[in-house]
Amino acid sequence: MSLVSAAFLAFVAITALIYYLVPGGARRWVLIAASLVFCASCGFYSLIFVLLAAVTTFIGGMLSGPSKSKGLRNAAAVITVVLNLGILCAVRYYGVIGLFAENLNKIFGATASTNTFMYYVVPVGMAFYTLQLIGYTLDCRWERTEPEKNFFRYLLFATYFPYFTSGPMNSYADLSVKLDGAKDAKFSLERLRDSAIRIAWGFFKKLVIADRIAVIVNSIYGNHEVYGGLYVFIGAAAFAIQLYADFSGCMDVVLGTSHLIGIEMPENFNSPFLAHTIREYWQRWHITLGGWLRDYLFYPMLRTSAFVKIGDVSKKLFGKKKGKKVPTYFGLIILWAAVGYWHGGLMKYVIGTGLLHCFYIILGELVEPISVKLRKTLHSEKMPYKIFQTARTFFLICLGHIFFRANNVPDAIEMYKAIFRPFTINGEWIASLGLDTGNLIVLLISFAVLVAVDIYKYREKQEEEPRLVLQTIASKPVVVAWAVFMLLAVAVLIFGMYGLGYDSGAFIYARI
Amino acid sequence: MTRDEVFVKLNEIFQDVFDDEDINVTETTTAADVDGWDSLEHINLLVAIERGFGIRFTMGETTGLKNVGEMVDKIMAHLG
Repeated sequence: MSLVSAAFLAFVAITALIYYLVPGGARRWVLIAASLVFCASCGFYSLIFVLLAAVTTFIGGMLSGPSKSKGLRNAAAVITVVLNLGILCAVRYYGVIGLFAENLNKIFGATASTNTFMYYVVPVGMAFYTLQLIGYTLDCRWERTEPEKNFFRYLLFATYFPYFTSGPMNSYADLSVKLDGAKDAKFSLERLRDSAIRIAWGFFKKLVIADRIAVIVNSIYGNHEVYGGLYVFIGAAAFAIQLYADFSGCMDVVLGTSHLIGIEMPENFNSPFLAHTIREYWQRWHITLGGWLRDYLFYPMLRTSAFVKIGDVSKKLFGKKKGKKVPTYFGLIILWAAVGYWHGGLMKYVIGTGLLHCFYIILGELVEPISVKLRKTLHSEKMPYKIFQTARTFFLICLGHIFFRANNVPDAIEMYKAIFRPFTINGEWIASLGLDTGNLIVLLISFAVLVAVDIYKYREKQEEEPRLVLQTIASKPVVVAWAVFMLLAVAVLIFGMYGLGYDSGAFIYARI
Repeated sequence: MTRDEVFVKLNEIFQDVFDDEDINVTETTTAADVDGWDSLEHINLLVAIERGFGIRFTMGETTGLKNVGEMVDKIMAHLG
């Protein structure tokens, strides 16, 4: 079931209705039932694999707890992590079809053909819940959380339907407390109103912006041998906007749905394209994935004896100050290769969303002494320099997106070469991008709304809470809030990209 | 090892890691009080403390420390 569909809205409405009608103690069971139905609706494999992951990480967590012997705890944690990561990597690489006999597919009526792209046969949500559930087992091993004794309490954490397909990622310690608190959640018109606005905003971003700008993206990337020069950049920038509107729109639906149920999820985006540096961009984009990788991969890796030894050797070779950065650079390379691989088991992802960003960050560190002087000379505290930084960061991200969106690495390289081809901009070429004038105007206006909202939310220090538009709306007379909702709903109904043969269900990150 | 002795040794480790001989940590010192104490440097600091005291923190102990006083509590718990 897609999060952007009438079926999902009906599903949420029915679930919420039953949820608030039953006594508080029974609400957990309503959510478990709804979550299992939702997982099953995402496909047979989705349900089977999430149950497998839930059972193995639950047992792994129990055996990794402090009451067991050290040997057993280490073995349980390692086996659980290797098993679940192994399944994820194998499925990511071969697809489910490659792992199971065709006969099994026939028995269960699966129709995915063997020659489709692998993400079509990767069970929905797998990349998200695998990391999240591995995190739980590691938390038990590292004594960050007590092993859960009640399997059904854990099962709800594993399958909770709003975030099942695309996150955001939560730690068990945080979310289990919130899920327990669901029994006391009170229904109110304010809750319904805020959820409705947030979900409508997500639909707006996905159906009005992402699916519309996708037409331009598909035209340029689908015919990269024709489009050269500035068009390559238009394609790359358009894909960056599509990806953002798509993924953050999905998160709006998730957070809005969960708010309706009375369970608050962490934000995953904080005006990412206003970041001044690549490092800052990753602190604003897909925030919960960054947090997971930092807590469960990067920091633990830096504390291993191998990295400590690398640090010792490099300090002797390069001096204390420079030498202690060497293990960090090694760690960053492994971290970013993992980020890239997580986005898809193809080299284009490993480069475009991984190693290229790693290169940017390490290069930025190495030229920092020059940058310090440059910033002083160019008055970095002033607005023009900040605008330059934001534009430069966006440009660098777009260069990576050429790899991300291109069919493969050779195509991406062809597109880089095409940047230097002569080009003309005229009405005919713009028309060839696939959108007529009316659609282009709708796109520009809706994109302007998105930019305005992001600028309003923006806080220069990323650790500061963004200014929430919903809070601002809530502070106005109630009619304003419902007017905003109606405006968004009407915009979605009139300007949503329906009937053009697009699969609006296919959120890009739900296929990861 | 007494608490005071732990503080003396810990202070030497701080001075070494942050390359600043003027650092003088107390019970209430936080990351905001020490120049350069960011999350990456925190990892370097933990490794140096583990080495200096011959102990091994669990990952759970390395996050959520409010101040140096709490860090000393953890070190003393490991030293027994």
